[in-house]
Amino acid sequence: MLINEELIVIPVQQKTKEGVIEELAEVALSVGRIADKAQYVAAVLKREEEYSTAVGFHVAIPHGKTDAVTEPFLMYGRVEKVDWNALDGEPVDHVFMIGVPEKEAGSTHLQILAKLSRRLMKEEFRSELTEATNAQAIIDVLKKNELL
Amino acid sequence: MRILAVTACPTGIAHTYMAAEAIEEAAKKKGYEIKVETRGSVGVENELTSEDIAAADAIILACDTSVPMDRFSGKKLVSVGVSDALKDANKLIEDALKAPIYKASGNDLVDDVAGIKAKRKDESKGAYKHLMNGVSFMIPFVVAGGIAIALSFMFGYDAFQQEGTLAAYLMNIGGGAGFALMIPVLAGYIAYSIADRPGLAVGMIGGSVAVQLNAGFLGAIVAGFMAGYVVNLIKKYIKLPKTLQGIMPVLIIPVFGSLIVGLSFFYIIGTPVAAINTAMNNFLTGMSGTNAVLLGLIIGLMMAFDMGGPVNKAAYAFGTGTLVAGTGSAIMAAVMGAGMVPPLGLALATFIFKDKFTLAEKEAGKAAAVLGASFITEGAIPFAAADPLRVIPSIMAGAAVTGALSMAFNATLSVPHGGLFVFFAVENVAMYIVAILAGTAVTAILTGMLKKKIEV
Repeated sequence: MLINEELIVIPVQQKTKEGVIEELAEVALSVGRIADKAQYVAAVLKREEEYSTAVGFHVAIPHGKTDAVTEPFLMYGRVEKVDWNALDGEPVDHVFMIGVPEKEAGSTHLQILAKLSRRLMKEEFRSELTEATNAQAIIDVLKKNELL
Repeated sequence: MRILAVTACPTGIAHTYMAAEAIEEAAKKKGYEIKVETRGSVGVENELTSEDIAAADAIILACDTSVPMDRFSGKKLVSVGVSDALKDANKLIEDALKAPIYKASGNDLVDDVAGIKAKRKDESKGAYKHLMNGVSFMIPFVVAGGIAIALSFMFGYDAFQQEGTLAAYLMNIGGGAGFALMIPVLAGYIAYSIADRPGLAVGMIGGSVAVQLNAGFLGAIVAGFMAGYVVNLIKKYIKLPKTLQGIMPVLIIPVFGSLIVGLSFFYIIGTPVAAINTAMNNFLTGMSGTNAVLLGLIIGLMMAFDMGGPVNKAAYAFGTGTLVAGTGSAIMAAVMGAGMVPPLGLALATFIFKDKFTLAEKEAGKAAAVLGASFITEGAIPFAAADPLRVIPSIMAGAAVTGALSMAFNATLSVPHGGLFVFFAVENVAMYIVAILAGTAVTAILTGMLKKKIEV
């Protein structure tokens, strides 16, 4: 399973981009999705440097493809108006953090991430996310949108 | 309005698809037709075809990585980063419709030829397409292997038997590695074309089994097709619970596919296929005199008839098949010589009969000479398209002369492609050149006589 309730953090305590990534990575480490937190965080930040993954509409999708990832995962974190150098200049409220192993053979999870990316462009999906207040509700939204 | 777009980003996980969605939404709102090719980590999806591109009003590239561009030559094209598509897809579409025409580098005739080749590739269907996919992946192996072997022979025909010498190493690279791989690669990529990635391993293993049984080129084709269809059947009929689906491509398909194909070869089809293959090789290599000349003539007619189309490719595939023995092939030599003649002959005609060609054709003649020298028969297509009833008979006659003469002189060639640049791999090269020049002259003179003067 790409995402489960353990991988949903509502709310995230940290208030900065780097802090949010660290905090979410800590959770990923604790449930065994990554083997090396520092290496994973470095990969994600390196990706952020190329250009911000805050794609507008208050959503960011930081992602890292590195050997530190033991099992592909998707995390959801609810944050409060974090500055993410977004393309539209707006702060971020939703963070979907993605981890993929460097040598990933199958493509099923990539298909799901591709689908998630497409869903994010839909107003309806974003408002459903905003209305969800706990992990179970987020899971329900993802299920409803065929992402689980 | 029809809009096409390509989206791609370095990691290919999210932005590729978000940009695709944004462009699709914006186009739909405007009531435009839209198709977006995504080049993400999943691979190329929804790939644009030659027909799509031909029918498009404008092209949008929203990419942070390089993508194939030549196919868009002659279209309005705007190229931006992925993030621009996310920011304002609406404006991007408007920009694209006002964009300047994109022009791929390189001269026109060469572009035309590339376009025609791409179009034919899209059009080819079924078994022919699978076979050609295999052949196209095999050719580099044959070229590299064949040239290494030819270089080894330059030290003398048995120089490679001396261990530890350069000649021996060249033979090991060419014969031991290049030629040893080409049959499995042929079978593997036929299967790949039929069954996609899972077909590759089964096809290559099947091809290797065919080699062990001396079933050669023919065996590889049988193994490749069999592997492809067996893998498709496995995909269709073996259903695993969802949690175990991951082991299909890494365990179930390769193991069962290889066993089914391999064991069928050992127990059932290997022996008859090997017998046919051996008989065919003996027949071809033993052929001489009138029969050989007749075969050369037919090869020549086929090579020129559709200039790179199915008939030409059939003759070509037949020629490469005779190479597998690893020594020079008279048939391969005839195929290449005949294939070089149409563009060469037409180039010569534009030079001699200046009043029979337009200025553009005379310019194209220079490019055709280069294409002909490189054995790209398609170089003749622009001329043939403009005046098929006069040009095609002329080039067929010239190519037939070259094919027949090449066989009569018993020129042989040990590599499948390269034109002028592989003449060092031709045995009896002086007479081979005579054969090509004779055909070129026949084509040029016939074209000049048949074509009408251009009214000024």
